[in-house]
Amino acid sequence: MACVYIPVQNTSEEVRVALEQLPKDATDILDILKAEQAPLNLWLTFAREYFKQSKFTEFLQILEEGSSPEIDEYYSDVKYDRIAILNALGAYYTNLGKLESKQREKDEHFIRATQYYNKASRIDQDEPSTWVGKGQLLVAKGELEQAYEVFKIVLDGQPDNVPALLGQACVQFNRGRFQEALNLYKRTLQVHPGCPASVRLGLGLCRFRLGQFQKARQAFLRVLQLDPHNVEALVALGVMDINTTEVDAVHQGMEKMRAAFEIYPYCPMALNHLANHYFFTGQHYMVEQLTEAALAATDHVLMKAQAYYNFARSYHTKGDYEMAARYYRASTSELKTPRDFILPYYGLGQVHLKLGDWKTALANFEKVLDAHPDNCETLKAMGHIFVQQGRTEKALDNFKRATKLNQRDVDAWLEMGELLVLSDFGEALEAFKMALSLLKKNGEVIPLGLLNNIGVLHFERGELELARQAYKEALGKGIWLDFSEGTRSAVSGVPNEENQLFSSLEEEGVLIEVPAEKVTLLFNLARLHEQLHETGKATVLYQLILFKHPKYVDALLRLAAMAHARNNISTSLDLVSKALAINDKYLEGLSVRGNLELKADDWLKAKDTLKSILQITDGKDNYATLALGNWNYYAAVRGEKKDPKLEATHLEKARELYQKVLVQKPNNMYAANGLGVVLAEKGLFDVAKDIFTQVQEAAAGNKAVDMPDVWINLAHVYLAQGQFALAIKMYQNCLRRFYYNTDPQILLYLARTHYEAEQWQECKQVLLDAIHLAPSNYTLRFDAAIAMQKFSTATLKKTKRSAEEVRLAVAELKNALRLFNQLAGVRGQHVHGFDEKKLDLHVDYCKHLLDAAKVHLEAAEREEQQVRQKQEVSRQLAMAEDARRKAEEERKIQMERRQRDEEHRIVLEQEERLQQTMATWNRKRFEVEDNDGDNNGANEKKERRKEKRKRKKEKKSRPQYSDEEDAQVEEEVEDVRPETPEDDAQDALAAAFGDSDEEAVPEPRLKKARRRQALSDSDEEGQMSPHRSPPSDVEPVAEVRRRHSPSRSRLRKRQLSESESE
Amino acid sequence: MKINSLKNLANAHADGVWAVAWAPATQSRGALLITGSVDETVKLWKGDELEPERTNTGHALGVVAVAAHPAGTLAASTSLDSYVRVFDVDTNATVATLETPPSEAWLMQFHPKGELLAVAGGGSASVKLWNTNTWQLEQTFMVPKSEVTTDNKSSEKSNAGKFVLAVAWNLDGNRLACSTMDGTVAIFDVARAKLLHTLEGHSMPVRSLVFSPIDSRILYTASDDMHIHMYDVESRSMISAFSGHASWVLSVDVSPDGAALVTGSSDRTVRLWDLKMRAAVQTMTDHTDQVWSVAFRPPGGDGVRVGRLASVSDDKSISLYEYT
Repeated sequence: MACVYIPVQNTSEEVRVALEQLPKDATDILDILKAEQAPLNLWLTFAREYFKQSKFTEFLQILEEGSSPEIDEYYSDVKYDRIAILNALGAYYTNLGKLESKQREKDEHFIRATQYYNKASRIDQDEPSTWVGKGQLLVAKGELEQAYEVFKIVLDGQPDNVPALLGQACVQFNRGRFQEALNLYKRTLQVHPGCPASVRLGLGLCRFRLGQFQKARQAFLRVLQLDPHNVEALVALGVMDINTTEVDAVHQGMEKMRAAFEIYPYCPMALNHLANHYFFTGQHYMVEQLTEAALAATDHVLMKAQAYYNFARSYHTKGDYEMAARYYRASTSELKTPRDFILPYYGLGQVHLKLGDWKTALANFEKVLDAHPDNCETLKAMGHIFVQQGRTEKALDNFKRATKLNQRDVDAWLEMGELLVLSDFGEALEAFKMALSLLKKNGEVIPLGLLNNIGVLHFERGELELARQAYKEALGKGIWLDFSEGTRSAVSGVPNEENQLFSSLEEEGVLIEVPAEKVTLLFNLARLHEQLHETGKATVLYQLILFKHPKYVDALLRLAAMAHARNNISTSLDLVSKALAINDKYLEGLSVRGNLELKADDWLKAKDTLKSILQITDGKDNYATLALGNWNYYAAVRGEKKDPKLEATHLEKARELYQKVLVQKPNNMYAANGLGVVLAEKGLFDVAKDIFTQVQEAAAGNKAVDMPDVWINLAHVYLAQGQFALAIKMYQNCLRRFYYNTDPQILLYLARTHYEAEQWQECKQVLLDAIHLAPSNYTLRFDAAIAMQKFSTATLKKTKRSAEEVRLAVAELKNALRLFNQLAGVRGQHVHGFDEKKLDLHVDYCKHLLDAAKVHLEAAEREEQQVRQKQEVSRQLAMAEDARRKAEEERKIQMERRQRDEEHRIVLEQEERLQQTMATWNRKRFEVEDNDGDNNGANEKKERRKEKRKRKKEKKSRPQYSDEEDAQVEEEVEDVRPETPEDDAQDALAAAFGDSDEEAVPEPRLKKARRRQALSDSDEEGQMSPHRSPPSDVEPVAEVRRRHSPSRSRLRKRQLSESESE
Repeated sequence: MKINSLKNLANAHADGVWAVAWAPATQSRGALLITGSVDETVKLWKGDELEPERTNTGHALGVVAVAAHPAGTLAASTSLDSYVRVFDVDTNATVATLETPPSEAWLMQFHPKGELLAVAGGGSASVKLWNTNTWQLEQTFMVPKSEVTTDNKSSEKSNAGKFVLAVAWNLDGNRLACSTMDGTVAIFDVARAKLLHTLEGHSMPVRSLVFSPIDSRILYTASDDMHIHMYDVESRSMISAFSGHASWVLSVDVSPDGAALVTGSSDRTVRLWDLKMRAAVQTMTDHTDQVWSVAFRPPGGDGVRVGRLASVSDDKSISLYEYT
């Protein structure tokens, strides 16, 4: 037990005071000290003792008594002790000032401290301890430069003054000169090896700041060895542990923080770290408590900012975003610059993102990015906001950077994939695959959605096998696998065979389950099988879905579409109705129904259905608008009523509707196509061609879209403009590319083009192919017969032809005749609706032509005979000639030589003349050019006039052709109208458009429910082309004209009307 | 079970080849391959090298079908001009010219015993049976006018829909099946000369059909709806449906052992189907245009252990395969 002995005055006795048992009242001690006139250092000892026992009032009481003027006087020669008392007081107030958070009190404390130090200085202005005290006061006040000067004064005098060294080290440390500070601490230790542990703390902190963590750690550990209760060292070690981010170390670090907290509950850094810890363990109450304590304990900006940040974070996790935002903001307002502590800005960004305030969020994230340009999370968060704002490009940039910086960021890859789906399937796929492989590598659960997306993208890119693998992986094991792999086969492709299969399977004890999260995948797998033409498997899978999820209308619709593809319209309609019974506002279902009704020729119903879609969607459904546009177009060209006004109205309405779609979706190819058709219908071929070409290019760039219509339309335009070769190529490509050469209608267009180009044999060949494909279409036979008849006529018309050609012509004529006869034969069955009279006419004509051809054939054969004879004669002549020639040869050679000389002379003469005339030439050339210009102008005018006429005619003639066949043919035969090739082309175009556009059925849904319009009215239209070529091309065959009066009279009429129209 | 390409004879004809049949081997020679083309010729080929044996002319317009008598001596060909020409396989002597104006003739098949030739009668909505001795028309089986699927709109064109495209005799020769443009498949009782019933399932043209060579009840049909159906003709039930072709299925034939189907399609492929697994096991891509017809070589002849299969296409070529 430590004791202090107060010597009793004038005796050798002493009063013993046990330090542990200091009287509660310091007055007792003071009385003794005063009474015994004890030396001043004893006073200080007692004061220090009270201080140690945290009895500050007693401490102050003693010191203030000790520094009173009375004492000064009495002990006036005991300078040092008096100064020590004053300095102790100064130090005390300095410390008070340092701890005080209120500015006014703080200042007051500092003033008192200053007063004590000044008083001490007055006693002895060279006392170093006073200077040290002053220096410490300046440090506390933050006046580092002055403190530095003050300490320097001391050190200049006493280079080994420990307190000054420490003070200077402190100054250097705070000025950020860690190396200098370190040196000073080292010196202190050299000078005073037994100095308190806290010196080593300074050493450790310097090392820490200098990045010498190992040495720092040693220093801190040494501090703790010396002073196990040193909070700073504990905290410092804790921070270092935590910073290693290794689980064990962090744990140890936390232990140290806790120990520090137990020793001294007011260390803000420990508090913050503990709060941080409890935040992660989710003990929000603890977080709040600790944070509040930390806030109360410090006014250090960074500490406060961290404390606020902890508060905010706690609220953030609890979902109280408003409060979180408030505290984040409090945290940021403590900071001078975001660089000091960036986390609250990030937090603010996140919270605002949650609150939907993208702008503010973005601003905060930008600050974060400013400080940490490579922060992936921030890049991602910003990318996310850009997506929400529709700034796809910027978003993509961010994600690309994020994925580049951190190749292992699954979320970034995922989000980038989602974004890329909008623009680039290939890249999107790559992103998704990257995410997938990362997830796999990490052994994480792979979301079904990801595999599904990968599958769908492969599907869209036509990589069906890869798509299948993705779906399969996602679906895992289940009954579907048996069906998909074909190990369990379902009976049939009958689409509406209900559930029996599955019910019976269940009865057999087979487990049938379709988890809700896998329905979409299953649906996609079924779609895939459909695409692979494995309709059986697709059907079973759709039925499997419906068995467990009867309301999954999309599956019903697919079944309907498949039935439709097989031309099973009634089943298809049944299925659609079923879907609509489940949801009568099911737009896709309604669309399909409308389309089916159109196909079943139920015009009014179709229109109602389509209009009902527009009602549901407030007129915003592009598909329905487009379909209505098509509806109007068909109505226009169908011409059930022969009212040209009505036709124009329908056409105009169609145009309006197409344009409406285009306004909403400028890159809707189907609407553009429709518009092109309407324009072509109005004769604006060049504009239409432009549109079609663009649509074609767009469609070619998109693998998911098949748009044969636009190819056909483009070909039609070429045909109409007389560019037959181009038209032919376009039709052929279309046939091959989209229809496996199986579409007789396009073959008919092709034949038509050959016909216009007067390529009769090609025309016939194409028609034969078409007949083979569609043998029940008798118009094709009729057309083929016409082509053969034309061929024969043309051959016989030629002035020069071989007997072989004539023979071929006759054979073709016979074939034509047989076909006409055959057609005339089946007329009774009313299968094709040809006009009998017309057929008879053709039959008669062919017969006559055949007779005529006989003569031709004879003539040709005779001619051939003659030619052969002539050849024989000439051959003999040639032989005779040969002999003569040989004899003459020599003479010739001589002649030639002479001739050459002569020629040379002539050439010279000519050259001379040439030069003479040179000058006049130039003038002449100008004249010629002028003439050319005139001609061109005239031609143009003519062409324009022609075009006008064309259009007029089109109008005149259309009603005629769109009529029922019988009437049409009759009319044609009776009062043969003027027929020019252009006219024909126009009508062919009209006819062609008429049906190809039925397929111009809209887009997005197309994928799901692609509807193929079979060409229900192809018969009528097919006929148009052949009808246009009546048996009136008889001019060359004189006999026919004489014998066959009806055709002759027709001929005359035709000429008449032609001249009229001119 | 598999097929191997042996030979693809390019430009076998001057134009697309539409028809193929095998004339069975006789005592004096092996089986011959008969092909018909839109180039208006019928050609005969022999051996695995497809050496040209002869070219028959005389048809106008494209040759739609060829058929061979089971004895191997007679064959018939028909073209778009609707004449059926019956000729001696070895001499090319015309045996008969058959015509049933005004209707067309489409695909044909000889009765398994050779007594009759069944000719699909096109627009006449009937099948004509010709006596192969007298070459007189023996029977006409009418396809029923549309019954079940009648609605007002389609009835007008129903006759066009009943255009008869193909015929097939069953193993015993007591059933005859025919198919039409609208997908109807009609089954006739030959002995009683009456319609048994029609089979449902197709709504698009059925261009080819064939009975099983081992089970007289089993019929296979190929349709534009891209499917091949397998029916039990007696019970009228569909046993199975095969899907996988990307376009119309134009032709179907069964292997002589009855274990495999081969189909030709507009999608330019030839597919081999395992009937036990009921799945496509092989897809051949020798052709570059639609495959109009496929035919297995009938068994018999000298040294014929392995099967042969031929396919013909619009690409003007003939392909020969080994079937094992």
